[in-house]
Amino acid sequence: MASSREKMVYVSTAEERIIHWMLAGSCLFALITGLGLMFHSWEIIPTMLGGYYATKWMHIFSGVVFAISLVAASIIWWEHCKFVPDDLKWVSQAGGYLWEAHDLPPCGMYNAGQKLFFWCVFAFGIIVVLSGIVMFNPLPFNVTLARWAYMLHVMGVLVIASFFVIHLYLGTVGNPGTVQIMFHGWATREYCEFHKGKWLADRESKGDASE
Amino acid sequence: MAEYIKLIDLTKCTGCRGCQVACKQWNELPAEKTGFTGSLQNPMDLSYSTWCLIRYDEFDEADGMKWIMRHDACMHCDWPACVKACPSPGALVKTDSGAVVHDPNYCIGCKACIVACPFDIPRYSEHEEKIAKCTLCYNRITDGKSPACVTACPTGTLEFGPKEDMLAKAHARAEAVGGSVYPNNPKYETHVIYVVPGDVKLAALQHVNPNPKMPTTILWWKNLFKPFTLIGMGGVAGMAALHYFIKGPHRVEKKEEGGEADG
Ligand code: SF4
Ligand code: SF4
Repeated sequence: MASSREKMVYVSTAEERIIHWMLAGSCLFALITGLGLMFHSWEIIPTMLGGYYATKWMHIFSGVVFAISLVAASIIWWEHCKFVPDDLKWVSQAGGYLWEAHDLPPCGMYNAGQKLFFWCVFAFGIIVVLSGIVMFNPLPFNVTLARWAYMLHVMGVLVIASFFVIHLYLGTVGNPGTVQIMFHGWATREYCEFHKGKWLADRESKGDASE
Repeated sequence: MAEYIKLIDLTKCTGCRGCQVACKQWNELPAEKTGFTGSLQNPMDLSYSTWCLIRYDEFDEADGMKWIMRHDACMHCDWPACVKACPSPGALVKTDSGAVVHDPNYCIGCKACIVACPFDIPRYSEHEEKIAKCTLCYNRITDGKSPACVTACPTGTLEFGPKEDMLAKAHARAEAVGGSVYPNNPKYETHVIYVVPGDVKLAALQHVNPNPKMPTTILWWKNLFKPFTLIGMGGVAGMAALHYFIKGPHRVEKKEEGGEADG
C-alpha cells in the first residue's frame, strides 16, 4: 500500500465531469439571469446580455439545460448518494469541519454533506423545474397554483443557491486537491484515503488498483 | 399630478357599450370577430384588443329576468400586484395620477402580471408576445381630459375626477340607493371604484373578486424569498470566509498510525 501512496486515482469519469459541468454551468447561468430579472437594481445583467427580453429566453433555455442535466446527474449519482448508517456519525461530528473529530468513519464516494447537497439539489431542483414550467406558460393553470409556482421557484433557488455557495467553497479552497477532479478526473491516493476511504478500499479489494 | 378616480355607478348603466367602443377608438384597437353565444355580452371576455368590456349578468327574479351590466377594465390599484410581479422595469408603471400604465416597448411577455392581478385584467397576445390592458387613458388625463370611456358615457355611469371628490360621491350615492362601494379593502385601494346596487350580490357576478387583495404568495415571493436569496447566499459566503480564516482549509492528513486527526 505504501508503495502506491504517491500515485493518482481516477475518481471521476469523463461523462460524470461533463454532466457536472452542465449542471453547474446551467444552474449558475440560470441563477445570474434570474437574479437580473428579479432585482431591478441589477439592470447591468440584462443590459450586458442584450436586454430583458433576451434575458428571459436565456433564463428559459438555461433552465431546460438544467432540467436535462438534473436527470442525468441523478442517474449517475443516485447510488453513490444513498445514505448509510455511518453518515449519521459523520453528520454528528460535522465531518470534522467545525471542531476536532476523532471518530470519523471512512466515507464512500461521497460524504454525508455531499450526499445532502445532492438530495437538496435533486428535490429543490425538481421544484424549480416544475414551477418554471408553470411560469413559462401559467395561463392554462389554475391561478392559485400559478401564484404558488412563482413563490416556490424563488424558494427553491434560495435553498439551492445558498447550499451551492457552501459546495463551491468546500470544493475549491476549502478542500485543497478537490477541484482538480472536476477538470481531469484524478486525485492523489492520499486524498482518496482521507476523503473516500471506504470507496477506495472497496475498489481495491475488487482488484481495481490505482494506476 | 393630482390623484384621480374613475367612478362606475352600476345603478345607472344601461349597457349601451359607448365606453367599450370609445376605448377601441381612442386606443386604436381592432374589432374582434365574434359569434352569438346566447348572451348579449360581446365579446365574451377582455382580450389583447379589448381593454374595456361591458359584462352582462342575467338573474332570474320573482318578477322576471334582470340584467346587471358592468363596465370591466383595469382597476388601477394603488399598490398594484401586477407592478410588483413585473420583471421588466418600465413595462408596468404606477403613475402619480393613480393610473397604472403599461408600456409595450418594455414588456417581455413573461405573463407574471396576469397571474398576479387580483382582478384578472392583463391579456396576452401570442403573436405580439406582450400583454395589453387599460391605461386609464394616461395620454388623455395628463392632458386634462377624462378617459375616453368616461367622455363617451351618456348616462352618467362613468365619472372621472379627483380622488377625494369621487370617494365622497361614491359613498353618498351608495347610501342614497342602499348599495355599497366596491372594492372596500382599505389595504388594497384602487383608482376605479363601483357603486353596486343593494340587491346585487357581488359574488354572483361574473369575473368579480369579492375580496380583492395583494395575493399572499406574490407578497411572499417578492418580499420574503426574493431578498432572502441574497441574504442566504451572502450569509453562507460570509460563513465560508470565516471558516477559512479561523479553521483554514481542510488539508488531507498525512496518515499516521491509527489516527485521523482533523487539519
Ligand atoms: S387591476 Fe390588475 S392590471 Fe390593473 S393595476 Fe390592478 S393589478 Fe394591475
Ligand atoms: S407580461 Fe409584460 S407587463 Fe406583464 S409582467 Fe411580464 S413584462 Fe411585465
